[in-house]
Amino acid sequence: MNAMINKPIFAAVFSVFALSAAGNAAAQSTSTTAIMNGEVHTAAGDVIKNGDVIIRDGVIVQVAADLIAPTGARVIDASGKVVTPGIFAPLSSIGLEEISLDEEANDAGPNRGGGFPLGAALDAVDAYRRTSTLIAINRAGGVTRALMAPDPGDSLFGGQGAVIDMSGGVDSLTKPRAAQIAMMGSGGASRAGGTRMGAWALMREYLDEARSYAANPNAYIRRNREDRFALSDLKALGAVVSGGQPLIVYINGESDIRNLIRLKTDYNLRVIIAGGSEAWRVAKPLAAADIAVILDPMANLPSQFEDLGATLKNAARLNAAGVKIAFYNPPGFGAHNLRLLTQQAGNAVAEGLPYEAAMAALTINPAEMFGLDRRLGSIELGKVADIVIWDGDPLEVTTVPQVVFINGVRQDMDNRQAALLSRYRDLSRGALPFAYRGGE
Amino acid sequence: MQKLGWMALAVLLVAACAQETDDKGAVDSGAADNGAKAGAVKPQSAAAAAPGVAKSADDAGEKDAKGAVHPPLDPYPSTYESYASGATLITGATILTGAGERIDNGSVLLEGGKISAIGAAGAVDVPAGANTIDAAGKWVTPGVIDIHSHLGDYPSPSTASTSDGNEATAPNTAEVWTEHSVWPQDAGFTRALAGGITSMQVLPGSANLFGGRSVILKNVPSRTVQGMKFPGAPYGLKMACGENPKRVYGDKGGPSTRMGNFSHYRTAWIEASDYKKQWDDYWKAYAKWAENGNAKDNAKDEDAEDAPEAPSRNLKLETLAGVLRGDIRVNMHCYRADEMVQVMDMGKEFGYKVSTFHHAIEAYKVADYLAENGVCAAMWADWWGFKLEAYDAVSENAALVDAQANSCAIIHSDSATGIQRLNQEAAKAMAAGWRIGLEIAPEDAIAWITANPAKAMGVLDQTGTLETGKMGDVVIWNRNPFSVYAKAEQVFIDGALMYDRSDPKRSPRMDFEIGQQGNEHTGGAGQ
Repeated sequence: MNAMINKPIFAAVFSVFALSAAGNAAAQSTSTTAIMNGEVHTAAGDVIKNGDVIIRDGVIVQVAADLIAPTGARVIDASGKVVTPGIFAPLSSIGLEEISLDEEANDAGPNRGGGFPLGAALDAVDAYRRTSTLIAINRAGGVTRALMAPDPGDSLFGGQGAVIDMSGGVDSLTKPRAAQIAMMGSGGASRAGGTRMGAWALMREYLDEARSYAANPNAYIRRNREDRFALSDLKALGAVVSGGQPLIVYINGESDIRNLIRLKTDYNLRVIIAGGSEAWRVAKPLAAADIAVILDPMANLPSQFEDLGATLKNAARLNAAGVKIAFYNPPGFGAHNLRLLTQQAGNAVAEGLPYEAAMAALTINPAEMFGLDRRLGSIELGKVADIVIWDGDPLEVTTVPQVVFINGVRQDMDNRQAALLSRYRDLSRGALPFAYRGGE
Repeated sequence: MQKLGWMALAVLLVAACAQETDDKGAVDSGAADNGAKAGAVKPQSAAAAAPGVAKSADDAGEKDAKGAVHPPLDPYPSTYESYASGATLITGATILTGAGERIDNGSVLLEGGKISAIGAAGAVDVPAGANTIDAAGKWVTPGVIDIHSHLGDYPSPSTASTSDGNEATAPNTAEVWTEHSVWPQDAGFTRALAGGITSMQVLPGSANLFGGRSVILKNVPSRTVQGMKFPGAPYGLKMACGENPKRVYGDKGGPSTRMGNFSHYRTAWIEASDYKKQWDDYWKAYAKWAENGNAKDNAKDEDAEDAPEAPSRNLKLETLAGVLRGDIRVNMHCYRADEMVQVMDMGKEFGYKVSTFHHAIEAYKVADYLAENGVCAAMWADWWGFKLEAYDAVSENAALVDAQANSCAIIHSDSATGIQRLNQEAAKAMAAGWRIGLEIAPEDAIAWITANPAKAMGVLDQTGTLETGKMGDVVIWNRNPFSVYAKAEQVFIDGALMYDRSDPKRSPRMDFEIGQQGNEHTGGAGQ
């Protein structure tokens, strides 16, 4: 297949997305890039030694071994390098948080104990700060897409997360309202009277009310109802109860997870687990229920009673049972080091997860979770060119990206940390103070 | 507290110190090299080191040969004993000694709990009956040492019941001793063992300007803390700069500013200097009194003067005076470059030395000052941004600190997860150095997690390198430890095999975890 055939297909099928891709690509005008002779991990089942990837107008138009670079293409020699899809971070507060403990610089969620009344209605897009330094720093670490998700405050629900690309551009919003966030397990209990019974009763009540509202908003408002829930929350949950918007649920313990599977069935929801430290104990039912798990593969401590089964084997066992997995930085780490998802994946591999399954967990699986896998997440014909060229095994701790493409556009690797480094690399006294050096 | 609150409730709280909140301590400590001789049970002072310090029933402590009272130096003494081990020869491995050397196809011989020989495989004589481990293709390093841990004082499970790391009731709690908080049943000790950790310093949190004394442990499970205490290790004092103390005490009477922090430190050092002088004066007066023929034998002499009275003990000032005597090492949580330099001047003002700045995010900005002053910097590979004073991180931090002459770079964890993989953290920091042209070999970088923390903690003469006569604290890795795929296969502590990845019987499980459904087929350490 060649680009002439492929491009229109892409444009027709993925028109909304293509607008965004074209927006960025416009900066470089119509362009072709050829990444030649790399070890290409497509995340679509193939590893191509001496593989070539041709990108035109932001889209992957050819992937194979032994191609010839098109005339006029910008050629990048990737010999000895590893080429992968960009890393897709499936859950974090990227774009919402600069400094975790600085009130003004953290919009990740309402303050706990503050009594703020809304939850599900919150929309991450409203607080998105594309100029956050976290974006450029993690982009230089190979992260090209991320779900920017709110943290729950006093509500069971955090609100609606959005998928962004990591270009930091004005058009970097990929998919708004891509998922709703909820807190169950011990975190849910603490928001519902201190008991899991409260959390599940409250969750069901929210879903019932959201259904009732969605079925007939005017009738719902006219009805003389108890004013227990904010209408804006119920309105937002409409996307969840319709089964369209995935509900990401922080949950860890085995019995809670079994409850969640029942909830999914009863309400016909799309559910994704976050945390899941004991998910491996429910692996087969999770696979049968088509529930994916976003986990920290290094979580192996009995931090709470719901984590007694936490083990480094979680990722490998879930994958072996057919559960889709992805990785996230554990709560408490904000969004500052999404660049370490590759290290987490490497540790999962060291504990028995097949290498290509780890690669999928970093790339195509998150794209699937948010319904973006036809456009993103792998190196295949017609897909948007989010691609990283690494100086070695991307899961190895001594490896870093050399080149990052988002929407086919080669990204600036500079960032605030690089500026600080250049300023203080040499500590000898200069003609002027350090404040006059570098950092441009 | 604000945004982090839900995380702590919802899931594990990982960074006990770094992200200090009101109810949870911040991190850090620092070990100071103080120039003190590593090793020996630290004499608390020249006076205390006088021969014949004997136990006494006196509440004030112990009495020396002449009868002068001395506060007890070691009232909760280590009862640690190494476990039985025969002679063990580990041969054919790539050995990183921790002392800057790499030996390909090398051998290490452990006898009587100590390293009795190390060298090229052919050069080490094998005693009869030695258990020989063929380690061809494997790597061997000293046991890994974490200078900054909260295992035991912020243990798993992480509940209000077990949150014992910050005595956040006053900005100066120099009187508390971490060992009185440490829960030896923390499952985190087992996980750390599987990561090759053989010794660690457990610190109070960083809520307070003076957090209290640290304790140095061998990572061998015991019913008691005393059973884990590293024999003869010096004490450390945990102090904290910057944000955490002012956040915690800003609306509780202060300090509420960084200048407030310093005024509290300095006031405390002035009191401690006075207290030290009271005791020094007492010992001097007592010695003089004894020399004048008033002691014991002549006590019946009616002309004899009464013995000088010992000052009252003050636990808080006792610890601070121990710092001023050079016996207790200052471990100071300090992120910002400017604050570190201020603190070093404060040490000069009062005559003490900081051993180590912990969480030294901005150490690279003042690496020259640190090297000149002989102060260690304990760093993460890449944590940053959880608070403003952690904003200016660079991945090259440790490499840049290390590049100075007379430097002392340390990679620390402050995390029950991070402590399991200090090798990976060191690997990231090393590779960041390579990328800016610094030549750092594995045999150099291994010191960041072995010899350098041992030096800072005052135990380098006993562990931290693979040298003859040192404790048999050794890790056998399945491959180069500076890899994400590397695993500690066997961990020896004082010559005894305390962890074997392939043998569940050599994998400790803490009381909390046994008999629980759901983790029955996972080993404690290898979980």
